[in-house]
Order: sequence, then C-alpha cells, then structure tokens
Amino acid sequence: MIQPLQSRRRVGFIGILATIGVVTAAVLFQELHTESHPMSLRKPTGFPQLIAYERFRGLEGEMCQWTAASGETTLVASLQQQQTPAGGFTGQADPSAGAIRPPLRVIRDPYSNFASIAVDAVRNEVVLTDENMFNILVYDRLTNTPPKATMSEPKRRIGGLDTKVEFQCGLYIDPVSGDIYAVNNDTMRTLVIFSRKARGNVPPDRELYTPHGTFGIAVDEEAQELFLTVQHDSAVVVYNKMAEREDSPIRVLQGDRTLLADPHGIALDTKNNLMFVTNFGYSQSHTPGPDGRPIHGGTLGAGRGRELWPLGWDDTVPGSGKFSPPSITVYDLKASGNTAPVRVISGPQFNWPTGLSFDPQRNELFVANDAGNSVLVFDASASGDVAPLRVIKGPKSLIKNPTGVFVDVKNDELWVSNFGSYSATVYKRTASGDTAPLRIIRSAPAGKSALMIGNPGALAFDSKREEILVPN
Amino acid sequence: MVSGQKTLLGRTMHGIRYDAIHDEILVPHQFAQAVLVFRGGADGEEPPIRVIQGSLSQMMAPERIEVDPVNNEILVPDGTANKILVYPREANGNVAPIRVLQSSGNSFSEVNVDPVRDLLVVGGSTRIKGKSTSALMIFNRTDEGDVQPQSMIAGPNSRGAGGSRIALNPDLGLAFGTVRGNGVHSDESFVGVWNYVEDTGDAPPRWTIGGPKGMLRQPRGVALDRRNKSIIVSDKYLNALLTYYFPEVF
Repeated sequence: MIQPLQSRRRVGFIGILATIGVVTAAVLFQELHTESHPMSLRKPTGFPQLIAYERFRGLEGEMCQWTAASGETTLVASLQQQQTPAGGFTGQADPSAGAIRPPLRVIRDPYSNFASIAVDAVRNEVVLTDENMFNILVYDRLTNTPPKATMSEPKRRIGGLDTKVEFQCGLYIDPVSGDIYAVNNDTMRTLVIFSRKARGNVPPDRELYTPHGTFGIAVDEEAQELFLTVQHDSAVVVYNKMAEREDSPIRVLQGDRTLLADPHGIALDTKNNLMFVTNFGYSQSHTPGPDGRPIHGGTLGAGRGRELWPLGWDDTVPGSGKFSPPSITVYDLKASGNTAPVRVISGPQFNWPTGLSFDPQRNELFVANDAGNSVLVFDASASGDVAPLRVIKGPKSLIKNPTGVFVDVKNDELWVSNFGSYSATVYKRTASGDTAPLRIIRSAPAGKSALMIGNPGALAFDSKREEILVPN
Repeated sequence: MVSGQKTLLGRTMHGIRYDAIHDEILVPHQFAQAVLVFRGGADGEEPPIRVIQGSLSQMMAPERIEVDPVNNEILVPDGTANKILVYPREANGNVAPIRVLQSSGNSFSEVNVDPVRDLLVVGGSTRIKGKSTSALMIFNRTDEGDVQPQSMIAGPNSRGAGGSRIALNPDLGLAFGTVRGNGVHSDESFVGVWNYVEDTGDAPPRWTIGGPKGMLRQPRGVALDRRNKSIIVSDKYLNALLTYYFPEVF
C-alpha cells in the first residue's frame, strides 16, 4: 500500500521543472569544479555522457520570487550554500547542529490502531492488538463506546519495550488459562505469550523464536499444536503448543504445490481435520541447499541451528516470483512438506484477504477482506470460484480496512477489527449486507479515519505534487 | 492512497522511489520478485503501468529500488542475491538485466545514482579486520561484473555510513543515511550526512540530523525535499514521518 501525504505547500510543476533544469544544465556542459578529484575524470565510452552539471539557480524556491531566510538559517550557512562548487561540499560543518534541531513537522498517529482480535468468551473479554503504538489491549466484552465519547479505556494494557510487543497481527486466547498468544510480524521475530496477570511493561511469560514474517495463529487444543503462517517464506509452521525459545517446528508446510502465497490468516476445523489459510497471492519458488536445509538458516538467518525450518530468501529460485489470484487454501490438518491443498476457494470478491475465523457450528468461514472494506462469509465446504454466502459491507456497517475477524460462537457474535477506523465492531453472527454494528469499541473519536501508517520502512518524495509517498 | 489486489501491492512493501522527470512511482516487490511502476498520480486500486518479473530478471528478494531518469535505468539492489541488477527504465515483462554488479567481499543493500559525476553510491557492508562493517561504497555508474569500489567510507568513526536507507544530494556530493542504534528502539539513532566526494576511509559524518539523543528511535526511510530544503525521515518504531528543515545541506 502506498500512501501519499501532502505537505503544506504545493507548487505544481516546479519540482519537475527543476529536474528538467538538471538535464538541461547537463547538456550545456557547464564546467565541473572538481578537477582535483579523481571522480571527475571521465573515460571515453563512445556514447554521450553527462560531463558536468551546475544547479539551475533560477528554479530555486518560488518561481522568480525571493525566498526569505528562515529564523533557523544562519548567515554562514547561507554563504556556504552560495559558494559551494558542484564538486562537493567543502565548507566547515558543525556535526552537532542537526542532532539537537527538532523536526519541523511530525506526522504521527496518536491513537491505537486495531489490527487483530480475539474474544475470551470464558472471561467475557475481548483482546485487540494495536499496531500503531505497540500494545495489547484488553476490554470488557460488552464495552460500547458512547457516540460522543472520544474513546473507551481498556481494562488492561500490555505494552512497552520489555513486552517485545511490536507489529502484532495475530492473536490467540487459551480457552483454559486465558493466556494471550500474540504474533509479532516483523523485526522482533518472536511469538510472545502473556498470562492473564500481565499488565503494563512486563516481559512475556514465554517466548517462541519464530521465522521472520509470521502473521496468523491458530491452535489445535486437542493435539496441543500451534500453527503460524509465514508471509515471507509462504509457509505454515506447526509447533508443540508449549514450545519456547529456540524449539524447532514439528512440521513445515511449504512449496509450489501448496499454493501458499503471502499467507495471512489461518483457522482450523479440528472436527473435520482441516486447515484454512488466506493468501494475498504473491509467491516465489524455493530450492533447498545440498543437505535439504535452508541456506544460511532461512530468511534473515532466523532458523540457524534448528532441526526444521522453512526455506528462506536465500533458497529462492531467481526470477520464479509470480502473482496469483488471492485465495483460501484448504489442507489436511496434519499436512506438511510440499503438499497440495485439498480445495481452493477463490474469486473476484477477495481483496487482500487477511484475518480468518471458523464457525464450527454453522460450518462457515469469515474473512476480513482488508482492501474490500468487507467481511466475506463462505460455506467452509466450498471449492473453486464461489460467491460468498453473505457479505457485510457498507457505510452503516462501519467496516473499514478490516484485518482481524473473530466468531464468538458462545455469544452468537461476530467481531471485526477495523485497521482503517480505530474501531472494533460487533455484529450478530448471521449479519449480512450493510448492517449497523450491535456495539463498537473505539480508540479515537467517531468518524475519524486512521492514518494507517504501519511499519514505514521506506519513503519517497513526489516533488511534483509535494507529497510524501509511504509504502507500508 | 494506492491499495488493493489490482495494484499488486501488499501490506509489506519495503522500498519506493519517485521519478520526477517521468512522473512515475516505482516499488519493488520482494515476495513476487518484481518491480512495479505506477503513474505518479496513481490512486485507489489502480494497476501498475509496467511490471518487471520473470525468469530472466534474476531477482530473488528485491526490497529496495533506484531510478535513474537521466540515463533511463532502473536499479535493483537485491540484498539476497547480493547484486545490483540494472534494467532499462521502460522495461516491462520478463526482462533480463542489462548490467549486473557484484563486489567480492562486499554486500549491497541500497543504491543511489549520482548523475552529476556518473557514480553509484551504494550502501551495504564490507569486512574490516574480519568484522562485518557497514559501508558507503562508490562505483562508476556503468560498472558491471565483479568490481571493487573506487572508494569507500567505512569504519568506527564513520558511524554507520551506508548502513541503511540512503538519499543523495548530488549537487554537494552528500549522502544521507539512516542509522539505527542497537535494538528496535534507540536514542542513538540519527540521519548521518557523509561527503562521498571529499571523504574516504574512516570518515565521520559531516552532520547528524535528528539525533543522537534526538527524537528518532528507529529511522528507516529518508528522502529530500530540495525545494523546501528539508529532509524527510520515516521512523519504524515511532510509526511516524519527521521533516527536518536543514538548509545547510542544500
């Protein structure tokens, strides 16, 4: 996803003119003042070369207008700028000048932004992960933020550096103990487990060091097995439920035949021994190293020393990447290796299918359809290009960029975490169409749209529109 | 906002560049081993206008990208393949690189083109006394094959030159690089400004911006707004974009 964030001033095509000026100046072969430096020496290539360049000063600042110096511009700095030759900066710099200078502007979301969701029906609580400020937030299940209230306060918050909570995208609540299992998606590479006593900035009660890029989580309580999807390796890894630290997975599902492709959500039907996975549709092929193991310990070396680990980026086949339609792939619960799905549910209605929840009573699958601003409900036995049984979508539903979904069978309710609107919304389990939620938990004023800055690892500046481009 | 299935983007994109001359946005796709090119004004669920992908491309996990609108090239520093793959700017489909740059003993993660001096300014790492050290490496723009850099800024005094994302001001020969402290949250983080024309070896940054002991905690992306003499930084821990006015470097 790319988000343009417009800066305060807009100058139309000044930026592009400036760039054209660069090229024009290059063609004019202005003198380059770097004769003393070896980089300025050019070798003939038989082709036109950019030999010299000088700034097109007429395009600095507003077109043909004087740009007043700001209060932060020193005379020395201004003179340095004017006198600097194109060969490189040669003035004296005060290296500490920038360290203490505050930013001119900061774009930062001040509200909790809900990503994943799970209900603890035994203890009447709902748990949400906040991917903006890195919290796990626990609310009473019947919390309903009044329309005029800014937000609802959580009963408990787990967050802070000691918690190792970062970009948390998956949640599981142990039905017996109430332990919270929370999946870190990015740099932390660890599944953190907190007891019900956890509150504030506390270390996790247990950790499991996972592959890089885990997203969804599900648990087979009868078999005591824990399932995680791995985006970066297009894999599912299965651990003993009580695994910790450097324990290895007991099974890995990965390979071209699996059709796993940037997998996100995962749900289990333990009665019929099935595993369901949502896929964005982006994948590459892998080949194992000579010993059948991942080269260099898998993606970013996270699996060094493990007995079993998914093949990683170093094991990818160059140029094998592909875009496939988004889907739900269905496997035998014990599937491992390069095993094909038993069924695939696909169709044009999928648009970044993310969170997934299974209703064993009605045999239905609920999909948080992120970019579709909808929740799709399928017959869990469906196969191929089938229409959903129901779609919840529309302005009254308040569903906006849903990334998490949870079916509360006990209370006959459907929960949705809306990454796009700082809210968790609750519906009757059989809701359909543009249905208003029964209740809503908000972390920000009503009607406010989230910035949705999530993990801004890069940015670019569009000089034509004066916009900051942010991939998430 | 550009989002949705038809864009071929996901929620895990790691690089971006804007081509001001041709008004295009370029995004590498590490999962599908592809380069996506969008109109500069793309919005909503708008598909890319060009896609580089396929068996000839040699891409493994492209996370970063650079566009050279002067010489009409797209450069992909593939950190997994440890190569810089160069494609024609208007390439579309299953296209082989026109040049491939490697450098024995050095790793690549980021590349910028200096069209003024016809150089590649490459971020990555090298080995100094057997220890992997981040490095800012300078190559001729058209270097290919296994080539050693013509100069390099690296060492303890350089304070992480070339360690993460880089932006250039070729007018002054300055490279802006985001440097993270230890861990996921560190007030030792900053944006360093190195002079890759005048300096070499274990050269310190000419300036540090936003830290140490500033607001930055885990800076990642960096871009320059040259008209407004500003440096824009994304911080992963803060989930924020910070703009620093710093006329000294423009």
